[in-house]
Amino acid sequence: MRNPRTGWLLLSPTLIILLIFGFAPFLYVLFVGFNQWNVFSADDGLVFNGLDNFRRLVFDDDFLHSVGLTTRFAIFAIGSQVVLGFILAQMLTRNFPGKSLFRIIHTLPLMVAPIAVGAIWRLLVIPGFGPVPFFLDRWFDLTYQIGSYPDQALWTSVIMDVWHWTPFVTLTMLAGLSAIPREPVEQAKVDGASRFQVFWYVTLPFLRPVLLTTVFIRIMDAIRTVDEVWMLAGGGPGTRFTGIYIWRVVFPRTDYGYGSSISLITLYLTIVLCWLLFIAISGRRKGEVE
Amino acid sequence: MEKRQVPPSPQPQLPTKREGELRSRAREGFLPFYTNAFDRVFIGAVILIGIHLLWLRFMEPALPIEAATVISLAVGYYVVRRG
Repeated sequence: MRNPRTGWLLLSPTLIILLIFGFAPFLYVLFVGFNQWNVFSADDGLVFNGLDNFRRLVFDDDFLHSVGLTTRFAIFAIGSQVVLGFILAQMLTRNFPGKSLFRIIHTLPLMVAPIAVGAIWRLLVIPGFGPVPFFLDRWFDLTYQIGSYPDQALWTSVIMDVWHWTPFVTLTMLAGLSAIPREPVEQAKVDGASRFQVFWYVTLPFLRPVLLTTVFIRIMDAIRTVDEVWMLAGGGPGTRFTGIYIWRVVFPRTDYGYGSSISLITLYLTIVLCWLLFIAISGRRKGEVE
Repeated sequence: MEKRQVPPSPQPQLPTKREGELRSRAREGFLPFYTNAFDRVFIGAVILIGIHLLWLRFMEPALPIEAATVISLAVGYYVVRRG
């Protein structure tokens, strides 16, 4: 089994599938991104236009606004999920009455499809029908309309995403916490370390790979969020994220060339963000001990 | 009294030849972290795209995009050689 040829042979089905369904479409999008291609224009074929799509993109206020909104959404949603997920995972490492039931209920949102999550939250917050605007108005005299107030729409999207994906973060953190050996923690306690010092100098370094993987997955998911937010607010103000903007350009406007260039820049931003995070967390900075 | 058998302590594993080769490829340059050849090429590509996008937004009325290509290739070469 240690023969490299056997390894490549076993990997080959996956590699072939990845090449056909992952790399080939990427190359096609790359090609289309440098062309003008709108099926409703006078010339409905592919016309090479060099960097014109990217020139248009860097001056497109709607796109730049969508990048800003997506960044805010990702920071608040992922930050909340990591903090909440860690607290819940810490809680689940201890024994308390009803722990199994809590774990099942807590994991339920993970099993719901994103489009159904959007529908559930839409029913909760729809003005004149949902219980959230009704009780906010009755108890706090607050007007809650996600179609009219962009900030409310953004925060509702963040809360919905936190509700949907915190269980995933909890489960990965729980796996990471369960894998931490007890000896270093006990040794630190014997040496007189406070709870915060144990967390900061022992638990967090052991959790680093799990944290990194979880945040990577969540960043990629948050940047490409479309379905649940679309279902919640229909692409209204405050929820015009990059994914929804790409959808608007590609499908209703059928501007495939420009849509491809936006997709490529979104991929570029995702890769750069993940790479910077990898360098920051992975311990490859100079002066850090592995 | 029967003497308890103490299990032998595990010997520290020396890195294999392959691991040693991989570690030796990571190097310390002017960048604030350790990099291998792939990292430096990747950083060069990221800088190339970034400079071109910023050039299109802010500099194109003054200087053509070819200037951005020359600058980013020079920066990329410096990162790959000295990063």
